[in-house]
Amino acid sequence: MDLNLFAQLTVSGIVVGSTYALLGVSFGVIYATTRIFHLAHAVAYAGAAYGAVWASEALGLPFGLALLFGLATGVVLGVLIEIVFYRPMRKRNATLLTIFLVSLGISVAFPNLLQIVFGPDNKTLPRPDNPTYELGSVTISRQDVIAVLVAWALIAAVATFIVKTRFGRSVTAMRTNPTMAEAVGIDGNRVYTVVFVIGSFLIAVAGLLFTTRGVATPTMGLQPTLTGFIAAFLGGIGSQWGAALGGLALGLLSSWSALYLQVDYGPVVVFGAMFLVLLIRPQGLLGKAAA
Amino acid sequence: MSYYSDIAISVLILMTLALSLNLLLGYAGRVSMAHAVFYGIGAFTAARLTLPTVDELGGVATAGLQTGYSWSWFPALLAAMVVAFLAALLISIPAVRLVRGEYLILLTLAFQLVANQLMGVLDNVTGGPYGLSGIPPITIGGTVFFEPEKFIWIMLIATVFAFAACWALGESPFGRLLKGIREHESAVASVGKNPVFPELLAFSISAAIAGGVGALSAFYYGSVVPSNFNLNLSILIVAVVVLGGVGNLWGTVIGAIVLGSLEPFLRQFVGDSAIPWQAVIYGAALVVMMRLRPAGILPEGVGFGRLLGRGGGKPPKVIPTEEEALGRLRHVESRDSGPDSVPIVEVFDLQKSFGGLKAVNGATFTLERGQVTALIGPNGAGKTTIFNMMCGGLRADSGRVHLRGVEVTGKPAYDLAQRGLARSFQDVRVCQQLTAWDNVAMGVQGQAGEKFLRLVFTPLAVRRNERLVRQKALDCMALLGIADRANVRVSELSYGDQKLVAIARLLATDCDVLLLDEPTSGVDPASVEKVISGIGRLRDLGHTVCLVEHSVHFVQRLADRAVFLDQGTVIAEGTVDELMGRRELAELYFGT
Repeated sequence: MDLNLFAQLTVSGIVVGSTYALLGVSFGVIYATTRIFHLAHAVAYAGAAYGAVWASEALGLPFGLALLFGLATGVVLGVLIEIVFYRPMRKRNATLLTIFLVSLGISVAFPNLLQIVFGPDNKTLPRPDNPTYELGSVTISRQDVIAVLVAWALIAAVATFIVKTRFGRSVTAMRTNPTMAEAVGIDGNRVYTVVFVIGSFLIAVAGLLFTTRGVATPTMGLQPTLTGFIAAFLGGIGSQWGAALGGLALGLLSSWSALYLQVDYGPVVVFGAMFLVLLIRPQGLLGKAAA
Repeated sequence: MSYYSDIAISVLILMTLALSLNLLLGYAGRVSMAHAVFYGIGAFTAARLTLPTVDELGGVATAGLQTGYSWSWFPALLAAMVVAFLAALLISIPAVRLVRGEYLILLTLAFQLVANQLMGVLDNVTGGPYGLSGIPPITIGGTVFFEPEKFIWIMLIATVFAFAACWALGESPFGRLLKGIREHESAVASVGKNPVFPELLAFSISAAIAGGVGALSAFYYGSVVPSNFNLNLSILIVAVVVLGGVGNLWGTVIGAIVLGSLEPFLRQFVGDSAIPWQAVIYGAALVVMMRLRPAGILPEGVGFGRLLGRGGGKPPKVIPTEEEALGRLRHVESRDSGPDSVPIVEVFDLQKSFGGLKAVNGATFTLERGQVTALIGPNGAGKTTIFNMMCGGLRADSGRVHLRGVEVTGKPAYDLAQRGLARSFQDVRVCQQLTAWDNVAMGVQGQAGEKFLRLVFTPLAVRRNERLVRQKALDCMALLGIADRANVRVSELSYGDQKLVAIARLLATDCDVLLLDEPTSGVDPASVEKVISGIGRLRDLGHTVCLVEHSVHFVQRLADRAVFLDQGTVIAEGTVDELMGRRELAELYFGT
């Protein structure tokens, strides 16, 4: 095996995996508490990217402010989906399958709406300087370093928030026993709102990190949302660090697979890994077995 | 003409795909987000098999030359269905193990993405990203079905055939079983049916039909391109089924006509923007429909018959009297072969802890043949826990359960029911969307119509068998006094009647050991009397009954023996009057 190649693939696996970890935590924090298979999570990802592009192009905001505008757009869209669409469904005791179908409808309509409004072409943000650093044989860009640091700082912050704060504990309470949690005075709707704020914020950050290096397209949100699903299920639902490690493992796995396989097979490896884990440990790598 | 025929063909293709998915989504209640993949697998299989061989193309294999095996269209169509069937079986084995709905969504979503990716990569099989082309059209006796005006007849026949197949399967005993699994998997298992196998089969049959449609589309379009089988198509198929009405095939027909003609209709106004507009409209329609009319345009059970005022809720033509019913049910053979000296059920030293709590601590007792035994005791005595361990719902930490002297500890519920031990549930678990008659019929063992192969190859025998099954179900209901409500949907019955339906379903299993979990809880006093006389009937027929029950009045009237439990152990056994006569037990029971 070529050691230099291996080192380079490991580094790029960590870069990709850190984003996957962010996506995993982002989906996991919503799914674990609400049990909604939130496919429309893609809306916050693409919404953030298009918000930033629009703020930069139409409003002429400077780069930093455009990013903030995009972030706000993503979070607002994510929370609106919960308040406008999911909450009334829950009130009517709709099944989770019905709520999933609502989510599916939103995730079909939104990217096509983006395409009608903004056109199908690629959109870009102004590119910040992106010098590369050489560590021996391994090359890494400044943007990559920033992406890794931002991802893990946010993951650590969310994990600490859930475990250490009073509100975080009420999130855990809603996750494990919603009826009991509401009986002792926890406001379920407020917990759901906060969970959607956190989850949408994280995926909006991921969307912006992607767009500063790549391009925005109407359908950009779907693939990362699914990656988030897989990372969260792989790591174990209900555990932030589990979802994060699930994402990191996915990134490394798909990167290392390039040693032996064509690049096109990356998703196949990811899927195979998930298949195996679901077969052997349905509760995920770090999840607790159901009673 | 060609233009409209072409649109009609694409609508029919969508319709057939959606009909086959409705078999899975509507009857078995399982979502698949990968239906387009099976459509694609069928298309590629048929394309590869019907393409001409190297020899026919001049004998020189050059790069980019697309060759195949020169099969004729019909065997290729069958092969496409078989390949799609097998692919679905392979995928669904792990999927069905993880029965939770979200896992199936995740798994099929991921499968959709990966399979679509693979279709573009596996050059040798699928021809790479540009797919295969030059597939010969269908030819029958010199007629080439190439033009839309001609091919539409083939597609129409295929659609009618698929509709008939889905309808016949869905309305057969096999479909009844699927609906039961959809609503209460545990209840289906409790009457002796393994719930896993029918689900696998539903998934695979649905995929096989999609594969067949794929083959037909390959013959019609002459080319097969991987990007046609993407997630968008899978979502569109789900949307057609859901908007039309899950579990209603006519609804799917309407849904496919509406959504399938949306794009060509929009195209006249917005040109090429028709594709995103179509997606926005059906996405929004999904959101709005789930809010306002979650059952779809035509909800399950609403058909043209119902709209014309036929069917639904009327009593059966002939209601058997109790004597007739008894006469037919009497000759149920005893399963006993072992010596009478062995008690029919023996429970030895069962133990179960939940975390630090010792719920059951060494419970040992027996059930005697033909007697009604009640498990009584204060709340928290471990009655329900013991009950669940006896019926295979809960794994014991240690201890054994014997049935007719054979150890059955930890056997799954459907296995126990096949050995003659079945249970009811405190929360009834009858299938709300089915009639009382269908619910009870599900309890009958050894039905030919529940076997897919028998259904296909011996339909007449299946029909004869089904007549017997329905007669038996009606007899069971007659015995419990609910035969006049046989055709009423369970969701429209009172709670007391639902409990009686559940008992009739147990009776229909022919199991001689019946475990009843709080049969009168939540039931109004008038119905309690019916439940009591119903359980009396079970004893008259020679069944061994064990029940968990809180009402002392009820236990006193019915039980021959009682086992008194406290803190997870048996502290007394005897007749109910004896036990209640002992002061310390009465105090324990009622509290002081």
